[in-house]
Amino acid sequence: MTTLGRIRALTSGRSGRLVPLLLFVVLVGYPVVFPFAIYEQGVLLLAFLLALMAVSWNIVSGFAGYVSLGHSVFLGLGAYTGGLLAEHFQVNPLWFMPVGGLVAFVAATLVGMVVLRARGHAFVIITIALLLAMQVLVNNFSQVTHGSNGVNVPLPTWSSDYQNMPFYYMFLALLAATVGFAAWVRRTKFGTGLLAIREDEDKAAAIGVNTTRYKVLAYAASAVPIGVAGVVYAYFLSFLNPIGAFSLLTSVTIVLSALLGGRGTLWGPVLGGFVVTIVTEVANVYGGGTDSRLLVLGLALVLVVLFLPRGVLPAISARLARRRAAAQTVEYTDQAGVASARTPIVVSPRSAPAAQTPGRTAAPLLEIRGAARSFGGLRAVDGVDLTVEAGSITALIGPNGSGKTTLFNLVTGAMSLGSGEIWFDGTRIDQLPPWERAHLGLGRTFQITRLFKSMTVLENVVAPLPTAGWGLMAKDAVSGHEAERARELLDFVGLGRFGAQQAGSLSYGQQKLVELAQVLMLEPKMILLDEPAGGINPTLINRMVEIIRDLNRQGIAFLVVEHNIPLVLDLCDPVAVLSRGQVIAQGPPSIVRADPAVLEAYLGPEWLPADPVPGPVLKPADLSVKGG
Amino acid sequence: MTQLVQALVLGLLIGGVYALMASGLTLIFGVMNIINVAHGALLILVAFLTWKTWSVTGIDPILLAVVMTPLMFGVGWLLYKGVLSRISGSSPGMSVLLTFGIAITIEGILNVTAGNKFRSATPSYFSQSFRILGISLPKAQVYGCIAAVLVLGLLYVVLAKTWTGRAIRATAQNPSGAALIGIQASGVAALAFAIGTATTGVGGSVLSVLYPFFPASHYDWISRLLGIIVLGGMGSLAGALVGAIVLGLAETLTATYVSLQWSTLIFYAVIMIVLLFRPQGLFGSRLRQDVMA
Repeated sequence: MTTLGRIRALTSGRSGRLVPLLLFVVLVGYPVVFPFAIYEQGVLLLAFLLALMAVSWNIVSGFAGYVSLGHSVFLGLGAYTGGLLAEHFQVNPLWFMPVGGLVAFVAATLVGMVVLRARGHAFVIITIALLLAMQVLVNNFSQVTHGSNGVNVPLPTWSSDYQNMPFYYMFLALLAATVGFAAWVRRTKFGTGLLAIREDEDKAAAIGVNTTRYKVLAYAASAVPIGVAGVVYAYFLSFLNPIGAFSLLTSVTIVLSALLGGRGTLWGPVLGGFVVTIVTEVANVYGGGTDSRLLVLGLALVLVVLFLPRGVLPAISARLARRRAAAQTVEYTDQAGVASARTPIVVSPRSAPAAQTPGRTAAPLLEIRGAARSFGGLRAVDGVDLTVEAGSITALIGPNGSGKTTLFNLVTGAMSLGSGEIWFDGTRIDQLPPWERAHLGLGRTFQITRLFKSMTVLENVVAPLPTAGWGLMAKDAVSGHEAERARELLDFVGLGRFGAQQAGSLSYGQQKLVELAQVLMLEPKMILLDEPAGGINPTLINRMVEIIRDLNRQGIAFLVVEHNIPLVLDLCDPVAVLSRGQVIAQGPPSIVRADPAVLEAYLGPEWLPADPVPGPVLKPADLSVKGG
Repeated sequence: MTQLVQALVLGLLIGGVYALMASGLTLIFGVMNIINVAHGALLILVAFLTWKTWSVTGIDPILLAVVMTPLMFGVGWLLYKGVLSRISGSSPGMSVLLTFGIAITIEGILNVTAGNKFRSATPSYFSQSFRILGISLPKAQVYGCIAAVLVLGLLYVVLAKTWTGRAIRATAQNPSGAALIGIQASGVAALAFAIGTATTGVGGSVLSVLYPFFPASHYDWISRLLGIIVLGGMGSLAGALVGAIVLGLAETLTATYVSLQWSTLIFYAVIMIVLLFRPQGLFGSRLRQDVMA
C-alpha cells in the first residue's frame, strides 16, 4: 500500500472518524502511561488550547469567510472574567467558565451587530482594533482590573503531585467539545448558510439567508468556546496582565494554525494547532528564544498564504480526488435523465390555495408602482408600473439596457429602490431586506447562474430558508427532512443523480435547473426568472418550459425576462415591454407584438413601416435578440 | 483659551503627519482593494533605519526622509512584484492574511536584529519650541508637518497632473475599464503600491523624532491609520486628509482635557461610531456593484 493510499484509507469514510478517535484515546492515556513527562504534557496542553481556538476561529473565518485577526481577544475576555471573579470571591475560577463564555458571546454579538451589517473590510479592521482597544481599556480601568499590575488568580487546590495533569485533561475535553460543536454547526442549515455567504453573499440573501444574523451568530459562536477556555487559561497561568492576556502573538498563531491545516475544514485547524505549537516550541528551544519566534511565525504565514493557500488537508484530499478521478470515469452529463420523466410533487404548498380560487378579484400578487432608480445621471428604471397577477406567467421583454435586470434587483432587494412602491401579496416589501422578501415567497434565478460552486448540488438546494425561524437554522442539512425535500426537488427537475457532485462541475444548463430547484426550496408563490433559456440547448429549453408550466399549474406565478421571443409569445401571457426604464406596452402577446411603440423600441424609429399592419412582415422570430 | 488654541494647533500639526501616513494606505486600498496591514510595520522599519542612521552619522532624522522615500519606493515595488502580485485575483481575505504575515515578519526581523526596546531620535531641536502669541509649537512637530504637507502636495500633483497618476486613478475607479483603454493593471498596481509604500519613508522619519517606538508599535500605528481611513471613507485621498485632521484634533483635545491614556482609544471609538452610522465613511461613495464584474 502506498503512503497516499494509506492516507486515503485513513481520511475517507468510517476511518475518517477512526483516526481522530484513536488519537483521542492515545492522548487520554498519555499522562497515565507517562506521568512524569511534565514538559511534554505542558506542550500538549498548549496545543489543545491553540487547536481549540483555531477550530473556533474557523467557524467565522473558515465557514463564513470573514477573517478575524484579533481572535485572542476572547481568550483575554474569558481569562479576565474568570480571574477577576475568582479573585473577588476567592473561589475556584472554574465555576465561572459559563460566565467567561457568556461575556465572549455578548462582546462578539455587540461588535458583530455593528460591523457585520455591512459587507467587506470593516470586520477585519475591527478585529484588530478590538484586541488593541481591550489592552488599553483593561490597562485604564485599573480600579477594576488592577491595570498593568495584573490579576493574581487563586492557585490550584489539588496536590502538587498532579502538576498540570488536571489542566491537560480540561483542555483536552474542551477541545473535544469544540470540535463536536464545530462539526454540528457544519452539518446544520446554519452551517450551509455560512458557506453560502462565503461563496456569494448576495445570492445567499436572495435565497432567504438572513446574512446579518448568520454572520453575527457565527462570530458569537466562534467566540464562546474561546471565552470558556479563557477561564481555564487564567487558572492555569495564575497571573494575568493586559498585554499577555490580550496577546497579538496568540492571534497570529490562531490564524496560522487554521490556515496551515486547512481553512474551512473540520480537522485542519486541529492539525494546524498541533503543528504550530510544536514548531514554535522547537524554535524556542533551538532557535534562539522568543525573539525569533515572531520571525518564524510571520514567515510561515507568508509562505502558507503564497504556496499552500488552501492548507494541508484540502491539498491532500485534492490529490486523492485527482487520483480517484483518473481511476474511474464520472458521468457528468445526464441528458437522458434530464429529458425523461420526473417525479410529480407538490412543490409549493403555500401557493396552492391561491390557484384554487378561480375568478377572484383580489389585488395582484406583485404590484410595482412608480419604481425608479438612478445610477448617477442614468435613470436605469424610470417610473415603472407593473403588475403580476396570481397564477400568471408574465413576460418582461425589452432591448438590452432597458432596465429589466435592475427591476429584478429592485423587486428582490438586491438594490434599494430610489422612489416608488413595491407590494407583494398584500405586503409592502420595498424596504425589507432581501431575505425577508424570500420568506414571503418571492424567489429568483439569475441571468448568469450563481450557484455556490464549491458546495455539492444537494447542499446548494438545501441552503435556502423559506422562513426566518431559528429552529430551521439548527436543522440537519445533510440528512433528515430538509435533505429529503432537496432530493425530491432535484428529482423533480430531473437531476436527482447529481446530488453529490460539485455544483461547479455541472453544465451551464444543468446549473440553471439546479438554481431553479434551489428557488423551489423556498416554497415560493412567485419566481422571477432571468433568461431561463439563455445559453442552453433546445432539449433543455423544452424541459425548462415543461417545468415552468408544471409549476404554474400548481399555482406559482412567474415573471420572466427572456430574449427568445418565440418562447415568450408561446409561454407567457401577458407580456410587458420595457424600454429606457419605462413600461411602454403591456397586454396579451398578440397585441404587444403589433404595437408600433414596441417595434420602435426594438428596431429603431427609422424601421417603422408606413403600413400600421406589420403582420406578414414581422414574424416573432425577427424580434429574437441575444444577450443581456 | 490659550490651552484650547494650543491643543487645536497641535492637533492640526499631528493631523498633517497622520494624513501623510494614511494617504499611502488609502491609495493602496483604492487601487488594489488590499488592506495593507504591513503599512504600520513599514513605518516602524523606516523609523528604526532613520534612528540608526541618525545615531551613527548625526544627520538630521527628518532630512533623512529624502533618502528613505526613494528607498521605500523600491521596497514597495519589490514587495509587490515579489510577494503580493503572486496572489492577485484570490479573495481579499487572503491578501489581508498575507500583509498581516509581512507585518509580523518585519516585526520579527526588528526584534531579532534590534531588540525589543523603546527608541527615539533626539536631534538638537527635539525639546525646543517656537513661541508665537503665547502658544508653543514644538519644532519637531512643525518640521514634521511641513515635510508631510510637502509630500502630500507632491502626491497630489503626481496623481492629478501626470499620465501615471491618471492611470492610477482610472484603475482605482474601474479596473476593467482601465484595462480596456490600454492601462496595464499589474503595472499600475505595482506603481501604486510603491508610491503608497514610499509615503512611509517620510512618515517613518518623522515618527522616529515625534514618538518613541519599538518593534510592536506597528499594531498601534496601523490601528490609528485604519481608523483614519475608515472615517474618511476607504480609498478616498480627500477623506484620509479630513479623517487625519479630525482624529489629530480629537486625540490632542482628549489628551489635554481628559487624560493622555484615553487619547489612543479615540481611534477605536471613532471606527465603531463611523461603522454604526455611516459605514461608507465621510467621503466614501457606494458605487454600483452589479455591473462591475
